[in-house]
Amino acid sequence: MTFIPQVFWEDFFKGGRLACARLITAVENEPEALPEILDRIIPGQKGGLRIGVTGPPGVGKSTVTAALARRAVRAGHSVGILAVDPTSPFSGGAFLGDRVRMQDLSDDHQVFIRSMASRDGHGGLSPATPYAADILDAFGLDRIFIETVGVGQAELDVLDCSDLVVLVLQPGTGDVIQALKAGIIEAADIFLVNKSDLQGTETLLDSLRFLMDISPVRKGRPFPPVVEASALLDKGMDAASAEVERLIQDCVGSGRYREKRRSRLEREIRSAIQRELWDGYSALAGAGESIRAVAEALIEKGGSPYPYIHEACSRIRIQLVDERDSRGK
Amino acid sequence: MADRKIKVIIAKPGLDGHDRGAKVVARALVEAGMEVVYLGLQQTPESIVRAAVEEDADVIGLSILSGAHMTNFRRVRELMLSSGLGDRLLTGGGIIPTKDQEKLQEMGVGKVFGPGDDLQEIVEYIRANARRVPG
Repeated sequence: MTFIPQVFWEDFFKGGRLACARLITAVENEPEALPEILDRIIPGQKGGLRIGVTGPPGVGKSTVTAALARRAVRAGHSVGILAVDPTSPFSGGAFLGDRVRMQDLSDDHQVFIRSMASRDGHGGLSPATPYAADILDAFGLDRIFIETVGVGQAELDVLDCSDLVVLVLQPGTGDVIQALKAGIIEAADIFLVNKSDLQGTETLLDSLRFLMDISPVRKGRPFPPVVEASALLDKGMDAASAEVERLIQDCVGSGRYREKRRSRLEREIRSAIQRELWDGYSALAGAGESIRAVAEALIEKGGSPYPYIHEACSRIRIQLVDERDSRGK
Repeated sequence: MADRKIKVIIAKPGLDGHDRGAKVVARALVEAGMEVVYLGLQQTPESIVRAAVEEDADVIGLSILSGAHMTNFRRVRELMLSSGLGDRLLTGGGIIPTKDQEKLQEMGVGKVFGPGDDLQEIVEYIRANARRVPG
């Protein structure tokens, strides 16, 4: 869909749902269309808030997301949901089952739900998820929930991609030692203890209280709130939703929202330049093949890759200098 | 575009609680490298087509064992046409008599499958007939 026709954009900005869906398909499948899409949508963004929902497999992320989304709609928001499920590393296929838990939202036209396979993403999201969030933002949705695949301890892409992270936990999934480990626990802006009707809830709450005792302040911010709920029974979700909304207001008011947006743009610029430079270099030097040959030779004689790396980098430097000098003339 | 993944919606419309077949087919499509959005039981034609729009699905597969296949396929096809999804494949399976299969095809429904059909045949049929319009 490179060179997207004007009528398509008019349809999108008038609220055409299929146009919106097709743009998401384009960012999933056609990286070459990305500059054109971002050029059009970023000026159209209205500042939708992005709420990451993450946690281990089976804790109820989809059910929690649906319960929060329902309340956001009731409060007058328009809602986007990006639900990521894992791509099989063996077949490349994916079973996307999150919509099953979101049935009661499926008649609501204030809600746009998109399932995404994680594809090449290994941090709990797919590489296209941040762009899909950009698209939903430009589509005019003001609360965008981003539900990750079931994560372990260190899949943290959601942290970069959202303004606020809800970490969903359930009783019976590990003791205080797990809670002390670095990673996902540190990414949370709110702990949501789901399935709190089950045995073991007190133990989990104790672990979190212990964590709070030993580090009451993190990165200059108070310890995240802990809420107990059962999303399936719809218990405690009003309080959870109110807490999320409070954190959103705080995020916007404290300037953290702006900071998040700035760092997202910084990352985009950095990675696009890296990509561009690499593409240019590899086209010029046939780098793909020569790197393979070099690696093969290194295995043969057991050498370090750095002499080759230094040489390749100095070739790039020479070209950049040449370019600069020829422009100077 | 050669490696673009085929996205398939698998759903059971109406009040029919037998979803093993749908799950088996969904699993086979995943193993063949497709992305399957599983909607599950008790879907309405409206909710199925709405999901297909939001997912920009290439294929909708309905599993129907209740005998209500004529009504459901017709309604889903109508909604597909009015939602801009006329170019996508509508297929499915279940207990569907041969005489009805012809009528379904006249409505614009693709091939439908039944008990005992080979999963590989379903995979190949979908691969060959999934929408392949760029973008």
